Amino acid sequence: MADLGGGVSGTTPATAGGGRRTGTGFGRLLVTVYGILAFAAIGRSSYELATKFSEAPVAYSLSTLSAVVYVLATVALAKGGPRWRVVAWVTVGFEALGVLAVGAASAVSPDVFGETTVWSGFGQGYGYVPLVLPFVGLWWLWRTRPHGTHDAAPATPEPTEPTEPTGPTAPAAPDPEVR
Amino acid sequence: MVLPLLIVVLLACAALAGWASWFVVQDRAVILKQLIGAAVVEALVVVQAVVAGVLMVTRDHPVDGPLFWGYVATALVVLPIAAIWAFAERTRWSSVVLAVAALTVGFLDWRLWQIWGAA
Repeated sequence: MADLGGGVSGTTPATAGGGRRTGTGFGRLLVTVYGILAFAAIGRSSYELATKFSEAPVAYSLSTLSAVVYVLATVALAKGGPRWRVVAWVTVGFEALGVLAVGAASAVSPDVFGETTVWSGFGQGYGYVPLVLPFVGLWWLWRTRPHGTHDAAPATPEPTEPTEPTGPTAPAAPDPEVR
Repeated sequence: MVLPLLIVVLLACAALAGWASWFVVQDRAVILKQLIGAAVVEALVVVQAVVAGVLMVTRDHPVDGPLFWGYVATALVVLPIAAIWAFAERTRWSSVVLAVAALTVGFLDWRLWQIWGAA
């Protein structure tokens, strides 16, 4: 397993933007796991929206949001051009923050969202895959980052900061309508 | 759902995952025969879904329909997409992808069995 591919070993061509591919080699597996999680999240949120949204609007909105983010991250990692790389940094970073924030909130107050979400208990219901995956994703984006001085893609995950799930889903501001 | 069919599907998933894992060890990419194997697994899942649908109607088996068919849809979608995605890769990661997909379908099928018995 020493050869992680993704252009790191020089066996795959670089993308047009000078970056190395995020969807080949080890990235092929990463995109697969992201895709499976995306399908799981889509399935979960469609089921929740269709059958019981009014029971826990915050939890189920959060499920839908996470589903959208997983889909975006999957596509971005699979495509991997300079622009998609930015999308990947933002969405994967958002997931890392999301699972930590929601996981911490659910640990402090288990029923804070009224119902469990993909990210409750740090992704416990999904074998902690939602916890591990974004950090593997960030590592992979870093590992395959483009070299050179004038690359469009940011080399750090800082741009993800503003997308932290505060506001409507903030655990610090419990919605009286929940429960 | 019927138990013998569940066992057949789980064994088929395990066999496909094992075959792909053996290829990982050998540092080989997915071959056409494995895609045919994946198609067989897919066909078994379809048969299982049809049998479940028939049982639901004829025996009036109580089940959380949206949840059950949601899982069926996911189980049916995973393997074809993963197989194409794996086949496009010509390194051992190709085989890792197929193995993961096969295990996922096996897991989803196990969840189907639980959902079937839960209602």
